Amino acid sequence: MSERRLKATSGFYKKYVKKFYDDAHRAKAEKRPVAWVSSTFPVETLQAMDIVPVWPENYASVCAARQVSVELCERAEREGFSRDLCSYSRCVLGSMFGYEKELPEGGLPKPDFLVTTTCACDTHLKWFQVASRLYKVPLFLLDVPYNTSGGDSEHLDKAYVEYYMSQLEELFAFLEKQTETKLDMGKLRETLAVSDWTSKLWMEIQDYRKTIPCPMDARDAFSAVFFMLCMPGSQQAVDYYTQLRDQVRQRARDGIGVIENERFRLVWDNLPLWYNLKIFEYLNSLGAVVVAEVFSHTWAGSLDQSKPFESLARKYLPNMANSTAQRRVDIILNLVKDFHVNGVVLPTNWGCRMMSLSETIVRDAVYQKLGVQSLIIDVDSSDWRVAGEAQVKERFTIFIETLSK
Amino acid sequence: MELMQEFRHSLIARHEIARQWKSRNLPVVGWTCTYTPEEVVYAVGALPVMVWAGLGDTKLADVYMPSNSCSFTRACFNAALRGDYDYLDGFVESNCCDNRGKTYDMWVNYSKIPNIYFINTPHTNTEKAHQFFYQEVVRFKEWLEHSFKKKISEDSLKNTVGVYNENRTLLKKTYDLKMKKPPLISGVEFLEIALSSLVMLKEEHNKLLSWFIGQVERRGDLPKEGVRLLVTGSIMDNTELVRLIESVGGNVVADDWCTGSRYFWNTVDLDGNPLKAIAKRYLDKVPSSFMYQREQRFRHAAELAKRFEVEGVIMFVIKYCDTHMFDAPLLRDELKAMGLPVLYLEWEHSMSGFAGLKTRIEAFIEMVGGVK
Repeated sequence: MSERRLKATSGFYKKYVKKFYDDAHRAKAEKRPVAWVSSTFPVETLQAMDIVPVWPENYASVCAARQVSVELCERAEREGFSRDLCSYSRCVLGSMFGYEKELPEGGLPKPDFLVTTTCACDTHLKWFQVASRLYKVPLFLLDVPYNTSGGDSEHLDKAYVEYYMSQLEELFAFLEKQTETKLDMGKLRETLAVSDWTSKLWMEIQDYRKTIPCPMDARDAFSAVFFMLCMPGSQQAVDYYTQLRDQVRQRARDGIGVIENERFRLVWDNLPLWYNLKIFEYLNSLGAVVVAEVFSHTWAGSLDQSKPFESLARKYLPNMANSTAQRRVDIILNLVKDFHVNGVVLPTNWGCRMMSLSETIVRDAVYQKLGVQSLIIDVDSSDWRVAGEAQVKERFTIFIETLSK
Repeated sequence: MELMQEFRHSLIARHEIARQWKSRNLPVVGWTCTYTPEEVVYAVGALPVMVWAGLGDTKLADVYMPSNSCSFTRACFNAALRGDYDYLDGFVESNCCDNRGKTYDMWVNYSKIPNIYFINTPHTNTEKAHQFFYQEVVRFKEWLEHSFKKKISEDSLKNTVGVYNENRTLLKKTYDLKMKKPPLISGVEFLEIALSSLVMLKEEHNKLLSWFIGQVERRGDLPKEGVRLLVTGSIMDNTELVRLIESVGGNVVADDWCTGSRYFWNTVDLDGNPLKAIAKRYLDKVPSSFMYQREQRFRHAAELAKRFEVEGVIMFVIKYCDTHMFDAPLLRDELKAMGLPVLYLEWEHSMSGFAGLKTRIEAFIEMVGGVK
């Protein structure tokens, strides 16, 4: 199967992720400001101020891929952090408490300050509070109202958008104080323009995956989404996605799919098993291809340079994590329809309430509206103690058999 | 009349009592988070009641909710599916934590309750958060007015604040009765009193409490003197665990619970716009663990430990409560630094691991008592 993987994603880790951490460590050594940031935080604000963003969540996925996440989780558990907490947070806390072996990529560079938000989950705030206390560095909280209507960026409560925007002013005051640098509005606008372009390219790539057979697999997407998440406002992201877009487009035109005989097209919700991305190849071996990940359709958003604060609010506030189930249902229903999907995989994430709750609502809605079946499967993105590989494979085998009937 | 009789009755018969009020044209509104501005519900002429659930399995809810979701939230939803709350005329949910926020969808999709409202609760109390929450409370008031077809006047709000503040003051007075050695009331008794306040009409509760405070000094049946303990955590909606502690030689003299001290510690400071004053009280009160102001809660726990001269602390964390699970090791370290022995316990609201809890609590109390 490997010859069918995209050129642009082969060696992705070494070329981009490892480099990202090397660069962050270098920035730290050169005394440039380094901030820890959590997902759904408007990272463009940091990029516009030349602050190096570091993502503990991404680091946890790196540790999982390198097969050390469980040991690190156990390290945090020994300090009294419950095994039921988010495995990302346990893994990173474990790395902070001291680990006897060498940490992947030399560990996370120590932050000068932390920025987080309630937009995705409670965990972000609580976890960063622990980090802030351990490292004795300040923490900025962007408090985001819950998107109760479940509407998209065009259908948000005005009061919520305004509250969000008013806090961006506070955020910049905080960043200016931390970095002793003034915000350059021109630079912010430029960053937003680049990020906007990154989003457009990424969504164009996703569009080509509607093609039958599908030219790009989840394994590629879960690698390549890195830029969308971690550095959307950088030229590097635009360059990379342009190259990836060209390859995916070419494959779509040539009718080259991930597998030769594509029998089942799946949507994958939530996170993958970072420690076992090969599981997607197992699905391939059953004739199934993940043609859309909800994750890949969660991070894009258009940004209007003429309204920088408002468009940042509108990009991040309606994130599925911060919205009622209707938003998740709408996104998944559209994916099922547009991507010609026959099955939906809803993996829970043991330490994640946000992802695990409302899966039944999605399952019921997709079945009632489109007659498509879903598989809810108890797993965890980084803690493989939650579910063994044999167990997971068996569930997939049975699910695919059900779809064949 | 036996001292505790009425309080206990209000808990045992809470659903019948609520139904009786309803039949007398008093609509009933359920809420789950102690950040819900109850005063506004009361001011529209409705009875606000906290939604909780009995212990035991949650088979009905388990069909919809994953096993890694908060076991208390699951129990509440289970009670709703069982029909315990069919009499509610309205229900208020909030984003105070992920479990609650995401369960809103469950109530909307699968429960029979007609009128469900979501109040957005900030996780901090900055000036901007205050402005935002005030706006949310105004909207909440409008929803109540619309739902129950009645205007809420400034006077009725002021009047309600008076009733609620009186309740808070009386509860605090009652709470302080545990400062004596032996405590004048047991931890179980206090919890029963606090819980009854969450489901009774506050005016009734005030009358009962005033009477109780007048009588209790003369009681002959004092609780047995034991190891003085502080308990911490989120919700405690039943007396089983405190009863267990007190049955093996402990005195629960102080608590840091949503359904305990954090519920009544702070009053509304009436000054100008009553709705603004109400909103302010909630964001500034002794915070729950979902708030950014974590140190304030830790200080509250530490002060209680000192004032009530506790000898040990039991931390109760309900299974899958993220915010408390994150706080626990830090709070534990702070309390230990004060020289206090600390027992950390995770418990399933279904009480599935009751035997294990019992053993650990017994051993802990024996250990602390032995040091004495």
